[in-house]
Amino acid sequence: MKLDLVHDIQAAYRKTLASMSRPGLIKNLRDQADKVAMEIDCFNSTLVLALMLFDTEVTFKICSEHEAEMAKLINQLTYAKATELESADYILILHDSKPGDLEKAFQMARSGDLLDPHKGATLIIETDVVCNDRNLTLKGPGIEKENYMDVTLTDQWVDWREEKNSEYPLGIDLIFTDRENNILCLPRTTQIIKQVVG
Amino acid sequence: MNIEYNFAFFDEGSKREIRRATLKAIAIPGYQVPFASREMPIARGWGTGGLQLTLSLVGKEDSLKVIDQGSDESVNAVNIKKLIVLTTGIGVTDETAEATIIQSRHRIPETPLQEDQILVLQVPIPEPLRYYEPSEYETKKLHAEHEYSGAWLMLFEQIVNYGAMSTGADHPVMVHSRYVMAPSPIPRFDNPKLNQNNALILLGAGREKKVYAVPPYTKVASLDFEDYPFRVETFQDKCCRLCGAKDVFLDELLNDITGEASYQCNDTSYCLQRMNGKSKG
Ligand SMILES: [Zn+2]
Repeated sequence: MKLDLVHDIQAAYRKTLASMSRPGLIKNLRDQADKVAMEIDCFNSTLVLALMLFDTEVTFKICSEHEAEMAKLINQLTYAKATELESADYILILHDSKPGDLEKAFQMARSGDLLDPHKGATLIIETDVVCNDRNLTLKGPGIEKENYMDVTLTDQWVDWREEKNSEYPLGIDLIFTDRENNILCLPRTTQIIKQVVG
Repeated sequence: MNIEYNFAFFDEGSKREIRRATLKAIAIPGYQVPFASREMPIARGWGTGGLQLTLSLVGKEDSLKVIDQGSDESVNAVNIKKLIVLTTGIGVTDETAEATIIQSRHRIPETPLQEDQILVLQVPIPEPLRYYEPSEYETKKLHAEHEYSGAWLMLFEQIVNYGAMSTGADHPVMVHSRYVMAPSPIPRFDNPKLNQNNALILLGAGREKKVYAVPPYTKVASLDFEDYPFRVETFQDKCCRLCGAKDVFLDELLNDITGEASYQCNDTSYCLQRMNGKSKG
């Protein structure tokens, strides 16, 4: 079956909205992602997010071994324009990105300014597994007491993010996607506490 | 191809724009995110901002409740429901607990919201500082600099002039200790419901093209002073003449002939539900 650009995208949006409103809440886009009938170099759920959010008004940057092909494809599908890290509205860090790409993305991404903090970029990060294992503790708006999360990345990204988001309301917002089409969102307001190894 | 309405009236481009803005609004609680609002085929002042948010959210599985000043049956509420039902085919409900999306003007329902619900509030004037600063650029700067002494001064002047803060509705709030936000013209009675609510609350202003949000479990404090703490409207020992409810927002009704006052729930579906739930006899 083909991805329905009205109803499937609406369903995926509501899941993304729920996940962004409740940091740590994992939502699954399988029902929509499985309908992506295309051979692509990113996770299907990542493409669903691009189709949900991208159009001519949007700029993006792809970090991937297949950057050129992927940028061309996304542009053809959405009319969004590829650009550099420091000016992109959305940065897609795909599972086949080079070591170092993620750190660079955190450093270079636009964090908005005090007049327009909403111009801070959104990073969409592909990782093998997104789960609620108690590696990282989350606190902040959207979380009643605390939530937990883990992703298949070394925890260094937590420090890069903290550095980037140190001057709230400036900052960047994250969406993780995984191979099972799970998504987890981290708005800039979420505080992450690393597990202290005893 | 046959010509039909788009699902949920909007073209997908308009929905995308509002969806992008909404996700950013959630990431920066209380901050007004601008978006390119499209013209709606309804009269201004009708709550286009709320309607546009609802149209960007709604899907085939949703159940919608629309209330206007506490009533599900007002002309505004009925017309908004008609437009959405016509362009989506979804069901509507009056019961707060059954709705997945609740669009409201001037009230937050008495029935506590649940985690899987979204409350959409229609906003006529999204800028809480507009009262004393007419320039949009200046108010943006004041928000940027976290410079809210004008908002406090405005409340202080009310105390000097009236002996109390005289905001009837739309009493400004501080969200997540960063942004002063207009809660929309809800009575002060509803302000405390914004604080640490279970549900996501989205606010939309159509004319000013702004969307902003209060995520669930977010700290929202009504502006006040130590000597003059924020107070909600009190109805003291009054209760609803129909269902007997206390501790709800009551409308005062004056008898034309005797001049006597009686009280009734402002939230009519809440009142009806209580009356239906009561055993008769
Ligand atoms: Zn009543």
